Parts: sequence; C-alpha cells; structure tokens
Amino acid sequence: MATHTCKVLLSLGRMKSPAFTPHSPLGRVTYATALSTNRPNSNKGFTDGGNRGGPRKKRISWVRESGEPRTEKMAVDQDWTAVYPAWAPFRHGSVPLPVRMGKPMRGGVPPEKKGNLELIKIPNFLHLTPAAIKKHCDALKPFCTEWPSALESDAVCDELFPIKLKSSDYVHAGTSLRNPSARIVHLKVKLSSLNLDDHARKKMIKLLGDRYCKQTDTINITTDSCPLKQQNNDYAMYLLTVLYHESWKTEAWEAEKTVADMEEYCWEDSPSQKNILDTFVGMKVVEEGDAEAVREVVLGRPEVQEYRDSVTRLKNEGESESTMLQYREAVRKLFNL
Amino acid sequence: MAAPMDVSRQICSLARIFAGISTLGTRGLNCGGHRRCIPRYRPHLPLAPTASFHSGIASLSTPSSITVTEEPDTLFQKVSVFVKGHDRAVLDSYEFFATLAAKEFGISLSKVFEPPKDVERFTLLKSVHIFKKHRVQYEMRTHFRCIELSHLTGSTAQVYLEYIQRNLPEGVAMEVSKTAMEKIPEHILEPMWKDQPTDKNSSQSEQS
Repeated sequence: MATHTCKVLLSLGRMKSPAFTPHSPLGRVTYATALSTNRPNSNKGFTDGGNRGGPRKKRISWVRESGEPRTEKMAVDQDWTAVYPAWAPFRHGSVPLPVRMGKPMRGGVPPEKKGNLELIKIPNFLHLTPAAIKKHCDALKPFCTEWPSALESDAVCDELFPIKLKSSDYVHAGTSLRNPSARIVHLKVKLSSLNLDDHARKKMIKLLGDRYCKQTDTINITTDSCPLKQQNNDYAMYLLTVLYHESWKTEAWEAEKTVADMEEYCWEDSPSQKNILDTFVGMKVVEEGDAEAVREVVLGRPEVQEYRDSVTRLKNEGESESTMLQYREAVRKLFNL
Repeated sequence: MAAPMDVSRQICSLARIFAGISTLGTRGLNCGGHRRCIPRYRPHLPLAPTASFHSGIASLSTPSSITVTEEPDTLFQKVSVFVKGHDRAVLDSYEFFATLAAKEFGISLSKVFEPPKDVERFTLLKSVHIFKKHRVQYEMRTHFRCIELSHLTGSTAQVYLEYIQRNLPEGVAMEVSKTAMEKIPEHILEPMWKDQPTDKNSSQSEQS
C-alpha cells in the first residue's frame, strides 16, 4: 500500500490527468488512510461518551452504514470530465486524492478529507481541468471570429482606426450587481489624424483645454454624465463632432486675438523686429530713405534672417544649450564681432 | 461574424447541451483513452445510468446553429481582465484557467502579471468596556491578478468573457476594461462649412 505524506493542498487546481496516484499491481487506487488523525471517527448512532462500560443506547435502525466510496471503483484512466462536469462542492467520496487540510495539532497531521469542512469551504476547480477546458473551448470555438490579418501591429491599427473608446465592465456579487462606474466612457484620438487646417487646429486646442495632451498629441474626452454606457458613447462622439465643426468656423470676435493669446511666437511685428530696424537705421549701416525700402533691405539681409530664426526658436522651444548658442552666433554675425 | 444576441443564447444552449452530454454516463473504460469520441453536436447516449449530479437536465434540444450577420464586428485593441480576491491560491488557479482558455481560443496574451496585494489593517479595542491597553488587530488582504489580451474581435471577446465569467469562483470579483478601435466617422472627415460658404458669411454678419 502506497503511503503518502501530503502537504495541505489549498485549492485543487492544476490537475493534469486522472492518473494522480502511482499504479499499484491491482490497478486500483490505493492510498493511506491509516495515518493517525486527531479526531476519532464518530460512530453512527449514539454512544454515551462518558460511560463507556455502561449501557449503550440502541443503534438507530434506519441509518445505514455508508458503502464503499466511489474512489475505490474509479479507474486510473477514467474521464474526469464526467465525474465533475460542472461546478459541484467537494465530495470526499468522488475525489480520489489523498488530500489533507486543516491545522495539525501537536504531534499530528492535518485532518483527512472525510468529513473535512475546510475542503468544502474553499472554491474548487475540479470541474476545470485542462481536459475539460479544452472540451469547452472546442465547443465554443465556432462562435469566435478571427482577427483580420492585415492589422498586425499597433501602428497599423492606429493609422486605420484612430478613435479608441475605452469602457469597463464589472462582475461581482453583492446586494446589487450593478456598478455605476460601468457607464464611464473614455475617448482617445490623435489630433494629427483629424482633417484640420492651421487655424482649426489652434482653435480646437483652445476649446479642449485640459483634455488635450501636448506631449502625446492626444485628445482625451471622458463622459459620465449619462446613465447608460451607450448614451455616454454617443455623447462622446457628439462632442468630437461638435468640436471639429466649430473649430473650422471663424467667428467675428476671433479677429480680436491679441499677441498674448497667440500660441507661438511670431517675429513679424514683434518688438524684436522693431529693435533690429531701429538699430540698423541708427547705426547708419543702411541709408535712410523710403521706410518700406529700408525695411525690406534690412530684413532681406542673411544675418537678420538668421537672427530671426534664432529668436523664434528661443522663444518657442525655451532656453537650452543649442538655442542659446544659435542666438549668440546670430548676434555676433549681426554686429560683426 | 455572429450577432451578439444570438451568441449568448447559443452559448447557453451549448453549455446546457454539453452538460447534458457529460452527465449522462461515465462512459466507462471503453472511451477512457479517447478525449473526443463525441462529435460536436450530437448528444451521446448513456452507456449505463449512474447517479447524475444534475438531475432533471434540460432537454437535449437540436444543436444551435451559428448565425452570421452583415453588421461589422467591433475590434478590440486591448481587453484587460483584472481579478481580485482574498485568496491567492484561488487566483493562481483562475489565472491558469483563463490563460489556457485564451490559448485554446487563439487569443494573444500580451501581459499576465500580479499587482502587489492590498492589506487593510485596523486596530480595535479587545474588550467591550475599558481596558484601553488591550487591543486586537484585524487585516483584510486583497490579492490581484491582471490578464491583458490584445487584438480580439467583438464575437471572440464576447465568447471568451462569457466563458471566463461563468466560471468565476466564489469570492472573486472581476473588472474588464475593453479598448475598442473605430474609424473616424464620415461626418468628421470634412467640415460641413465647406459646402456652405454663404451660410458662414451670413452667420458672421448676424453675430457682428
């Protein structure tokens, strides 16, 4: 008889095949039950615990002795999916594993599976062995569809399907099965994938405000004002549509845009340009003449062009090594230093 | 491509059929070696009636057929299944089940990981009255597991998620976040003002 010292198996997952136990010459499942346990088997019928030598109560006639457990009759290569086809609680007579669970008392081992409540309490996966999973999947496979082979990488997907709609579903048990967070919808689009001209792009960014991320160039719209997910979905698409069409419109009051509202630095009509013109005229590098002609001549000069580029870059990109160096070089060339 | 409504009904009926097939007999030692001696849709006659766990099985109805509709399937770039429970071993087993099911369905798994557990501890007074120095501490441990799948169609996602959710063990909660991808709808491709320059001017003159 094979003897096992088994550790406590908390949940009976990962069973590979019905052949759990080593083969014995009889071809039947044998395992140890003779290890000492802490709780003595209670007799059927009443026994007077304190009065062993004295008179015993009569055995109840209709209570049968339990027969041989089914595990004795199980073949090693049986089909386990037939024993546990769907979820069922743990039955010690149906599971031919020498499982022990519980806290071992001093000098003892964890209690055996017969009459063990701990094994019944925990969730078991006896109905989800790999064989069973494969069977289920084979039956469900015809309902699945294949992913289109042309959309292999994320880059291709982003190019062809730029709009991403993210939503969550929740499964849990409780007094209510509904979760109010399930109605929230997040919409993500890359601004570059929309058909916008320069003015429309700037207006769109102004309209979006916080919802636009400059680093990743994405629009994030989160809708949760409607009670249902489909409604929030529709609302998000509606917002996108409205933003798009409104940004192409040019309102009358947009003509009042001041320099402070501008998103980028523009050198034309800036104090820097005026300074350059004044400096050149003051230095008498250029002859005084028609204002227009003077202006054109000054601005046409390559050093001034370079200076313009460096100042624009400095203002737009901020201060860094390369921008400062470029500015320095431009200024040097201007004044022939 | 299967319609969503029909799919759920068909899965239910298939599950019932399948349960019916398996419980109607142990199949004994004859078919012990084969795994797939039953063809997919025909129910199997019992060899010997044994005690079935689920008496009163639903009738072995005719196998459900798959309907194909013209409406385009949704495409999910990412489906993230996030489970949480109090028992780590249960989540281990569930992860094994979910990953094996995904492989069987042919779904690509991008990431399977375990976020760190969350422990909520609190200290209470041990006694009902006075004895402030003697307290008792309790803690509740929540373990997490995240399975990220990528590139799923709507039908596949529905089938897989329904299968996963029906076999969710007790005491485990799940959150599924799906990222669907869509093309830019037709009404956002071109601005509507392009065809109506006169309207635009009139609206400007109205406002000024």
